[in-house]
Amino acid sequence: MQIKVVMAKLGLDIHWRGALVVSRMLRDEGMEVVYLGNQFPEQIVEAAIQEGADVIGLSTLGGNHLTLGPKVVKLAREKGVDALVIMGGVIPEDDIPLLKEAGIAEVFGPETKVESIATFIREHVGKTIG
Amino acid sequence: MNEASSYFEKKSDVILGKLLKEVENQTANSIEILRESSARKGTAHIVGITGPPGSGKSTLVNKLCKTLAKSGIEIGIVAVDPTSPFTKGALLGDRTRMQELSGLSNVFIKSLATRGNLGGLAPTTADIVQVLDAYGKELIIIETVGVGQIEFDVLEIADTVVLVNVPGLGDSLQTLKAGIMEIADIYVVNQADRPGADESVRDLKMMVREKLQENWEQPVLKTIATNNEGMIELIDQIQRHKEFLLHSNRWDEKRKTRNLTRLNHLMIQSLNNEVDSYIRRKQGIQIKIQQVKEGKLDPYTLSDHIVEQLIKKHGGM
Amino acid sequence: MTKTNVNQGAKLFNQEVVREIEAQKERWKKETVKGKTGDGEYFSDSGIPVNLLYTPDDIKELNYMKDIGLSGEAPYVRGVYPNMYRGRLFTVRQIAGYGTPEDTNDRFKFLLKNGATGTSVVLDLPTIRGYDSDDPEAEGHVGAAGVAIDSLEDIEALYDGIPIDEISSNIVTHLPSTTVVIMAMFAAMAEKKGIPFEKLSGTNQNDFLMETAIGSSLEVLPPKASFRLQCDAIEFASKNLPRWNPVSYNGYNLREAGTDAVAEVACALANAIATSEELIRRGNKIDDFAKRLSFFWNLYNDFFEEIAKCRASRVVYQEIMKERFKAEEMKSQLMRFHVQTAGITLTKVEPLNNIARSAIQGLAAVLGGAQSLHVDSYDEAYSAPTEESALISIRTQQIIQTETNVVNTVDPLAGSYFVEYLTKEMAQRIRDYISEIESRGGLVACVDSGWLHREIADFAYQTQKDIENGTRKIVGLNYFPSEEHAGQKVEVFRYPETAEAKQKEKLKRLRQKRDAKKVEEKLNVIREMCHKDVNLMPYIKDAVLEYATLGEIEEVFREEFGLWQFPLA
Ligand code: B12
Ligand SMILES: Nc1nc2c(ncn2[C@@H]2O[C@H](COP(=O)(O)OP(=O)(O)OP(=O)(O)O)[C@@H](O)[C@H]2O)c(=O)[nH]1
Ligand SMILES: [Mg+2]
Repeated sequence: MQIKVVMAKLGLDIHWRGALVVSRMLRDEGMEVVYLGNQFPEQIVEAAIQEGADVIGLSTLGGNHLTLGPKVVKLAREKGVDALVIMGGVIPEDDIPLLKEAGIAEVFGPETKVESIATFIREHVGKTIG
Repeated sequence: MNEASSYFEKKSDVILGKLLKEVENQTANSIEILRESSARKGTAHIVGITGPPGSGKSTLVNKLCKTLAKSGIEIGIVAVDPTSPFTKGALLGDRTRMQELSGLSNVFIKSLATRGNLGGLAPTTADIVQVLDAYGKELIIIETVGVGQIEFDVLEIADTVVLVNVPGLGDSLQTLKAGIMEIADIYVVNQADRPGADESVRDLKMMVREKLQENWEQPVLKTIATNNEGMIELIDQIQRHKEFLLHSNRWDEKRKTRNLTRLNHLMIQSLNNEVDSYIRRKQGIQIKIQQVKEGKLDPYTLSDHIVEQLIKKHGGM
Repeated sequence: MTKTNVNQGAKLFNQEVVREIEAQKERWKKETVKGKTGDGEYFSDSGIPVNLLYTPDDIKELNYMKDIGLSGEAPYVRGVYPNMYRGRLFTVRQIAGYGTPEDTNDRFKFLLKNGATGTSVVLDLPTIRGYDSDDPEAEGHVGAAGVAIDSLEDIEALYDGIPIDEISSNIVTHLPSTTVVIMAMFAAMAEKKGIPFEKLSGTNQNDFLMETAIGSSLEVLPPKASFRLQCDAIEFASKNLPRWNPVSYNGYNLREAGTDAVAEVACALANAIATSEELIRRGNKIDDFAKRLSFFWNLYNDFFEEIAKCRASRVVYQEIMKERFKAEEMKSQLMRFHVQTAGITLTKVEPLNNIARSAIQGLAAVLGGAQSLHVDSYDEAYSAPTEESALISIRTQQIIQTETNVVNTVDPLAGSYFVEYLTKEMAQRIRDYISEIESRGGLVACVDSGWLHREIADFAYQTQKDIENGTRKIVGLNYFPSEEHAGQKVEVFRYPETAEAKQKEKLKRLRQKRDAKKVEEKLNVIREMCHKDVNLMPYIKDAVLEYATLGEIEEVFREEFGLWQFPLA
């Protein structure tokens, strides 16, 4: 099945380089990536609903991962969206357990090979417990 | 699947999202969903927005719908972007231009990838539109991929086709002339803040004069989508075209034609599937196909033979 | 003899000697190297072919006085000041900015105490993008990644106890829309303190590329509007703040987003060209404003290329100002630039290696003749620098300044056949790239059409692929990666989480105590002026003096100029 990813720059974070690179390379991995640009949790979840996203990708290097990241998962689950939520960017090691506890499936930091992100997605997509 | 009908009763974006996902992926459930939606499809006005890459289609759709949505009308948007022929993946970017529509409860946006289709739309576009229609959307806007001259699919699906161009058509007008240029119902010169807009409008008007439709003189409009300029006029023209269709019976004709087209598509698709699975089961035929491939057997004979066998299998004609 | 008497035909080397060298080189290739020169197979970071050996024949067409010259004289290859670092050392400038203005004020004082010679502040994302701390869009971002500034009150708190009439203040405003407001606040603060504008020295980034192509955001002003604000700030400063650099053309950020060294400089220069044309259209003379234009470069690890880039950028700039715009004053033709080492080259794996990378890049900046320098910290890929890592960055600069002796003589690499060759080659490539931009209608049009954005995106994408497939080698990552050392423990800097509440509280009080009617009036004047061919700065200054907030002023911009998004490539 075609995997559909909704990719967003979280909130006001301006660093699009990583998000765009990952989006293009996931396309190269055969996925369909809907690029949202900068969005806040409500709009990201709305887009995931409309697009029938299998994966919600959040990119942030702006230090807003803890304030906005968990919100995305919470809103998604409330609305019955069971998409896999993953995150990437500059995120302190210590915050990762908190993000995972909040339901973010995995966090990918700088220097991650996009190939390994694709592998993770393929292995976990559709297995989210809502 | 009886639930399909109950889904259509409930009316929630979450459910609609799920239905469209099934249809988009042509899952086993999708047939039921389409059957159900076929019976329910209503009265949506289907508008195709087409034009060269980067002409501002998405921006235009954004501004258009931002204004339209204020009246409370239910809007569905289907935005199509190309699939990479090499990787089968796609980067769908139209939505970035439609940020102003997020948060509006009466606007629903679905992005589709062409998935190998060459006509400027995704293979399931018509299906998706049908479901949106059945779900009560009153206006459905289809943004095609940035077109060259061979992408005509939108004609089959849309009631009103808007062609979005940019100033300085010049040569491209010539190349497009024979193609998609001729078939639009409304012409827009977007990015009119760039030099050459008036010339383009003039050129288009001249071209239109040669190709007047029966009882409908295709309007040529100037817009600056980024500044929200010309949107009211465009909305008026789209509305006017809808009324023209309704009054001239074209509205019904188009729907009838579409019903038949749909029937044809479905039959051809089923036949194809039937042939495929038949061949897959018959070793002997596969050997013969190999012979055709090698040039040892002529394709006409084999083709006749396979079809004959198939018909026999189903108890003749 | 005056400089204008230079013999235009006088080449750097005697042409007979050159011919002899050429002949010898052919022989040497055959006999000594035995054909294995590898020429045509090695490249600099921006793709300039690099030969095995450089000799005078590689720069045989150079005329010393015309093409290289002496320091403090055109074409400024050797540096913009005659006695360079002997006259004044490069400014040690470390960025600070987090939490409330009061928090950042503390960090300023720490850095100054430890030898920083100017302040440099970064703003939080809501401030940069024009939202007040109590705006819903700001939620979760206040005081993170920079300091929150909402009103004149905050600027006053930020510079409390800092001698702004003695040391220079760098304010990383990035976007023109942010710049016009913050600059107006800075000027208003000085006005209130009774400091004459002539005493204010400092820099704003103020680059419309940052607003429209380099960074992304929810609501972006169209390129034309952003460019107009950029020019308003420059024009205002040129008339009122004689020691202020109202722009620092941001090659740096462009490069971080994704370009090579050539495009970095070319885009910044194309922006300077666009600015000059616009200000001249408005009736200014080139010599009125050109002396305060400044630049901001990014230095990667390709040591010689980066040094050559710095030298080449000065030549091309001089050419443009002198030949195209007929600038007469010397100061209008010399390019001053700030350097920051390349954050994008710093790794998360084995972070301590970054100290070595940054030192090499910082050294290149000094050898390239930079006027001021920021050395990135080893924890770049982790968080904003901690006090400890920031200190190492300052120490790195001080080591370059004092222990290496590189500052003792001017432009010490001049005359290296290789460096002169690269300088010449870089200059040509920069000129070509500028021509390409101009053939597409100039820089504003290149942004508007999405061309520039695609250039950046394609480069970023290709770089990532090259790193993943190993063609671009990065020590510790894809070159001798080491499991053991990959995860050195790094202490991360935490932004104070209390900033949002504090700023909201301040805003609440502010909105109560200021004269709401006056604020409204002043905002309406700005609104009206947005549609006139006038400079907005005086009207913005009037508004901030009444304590109109940054968010309120920028909302006016958004409403009046409309919004724009760059095309997704
Ligand atoms: C490049 C860069 C910039 C560029 C951004 C250009 C662009 N278009 O993206 C520029 C120069 C504009 C910039 C500006 C700023 N920056 Co900056 N920047 C960086 C830098 C050096 C590299 C980031 C990068 O692009 N790396 C390359 C890409 C490919 O990697 P990546 O984004 O990490 O992505 C990878 C993974 O993280 C992951 N990934 C990323 N997104 C996603 C999404 C999903 C779904 C998945 C699965 C994976 C994934 O996969 C990618 C591939 O491996 C980092 C430091 C660093 N080395 O990380 C600082 C850094 C991110 N910046 C920082 C800051 C503070 C800023 C500013 C906000 C400073 C300021 N206040 O002025 C400004 C923004 C100003 C503004 N106008 O808004 C801080 C952030 C601090 C924090 N969060 O705690 C950092 C960490 C530097 C630092 N140490 O201070 N920056
Ligand atoms: N100057 C100007 N730019 C515009 C106008 N309309 C759109 N644009 C810009 O043109 C670029 C492309 O716009 P899109 O809306 O993405 O164009 P598109 O036709 O949907 O593009 P594809 O879907 O890729 O074919 C964007 O940068 C828009 O901001 C306009 O009226 N004037
Ligand atoms: Mg589009």
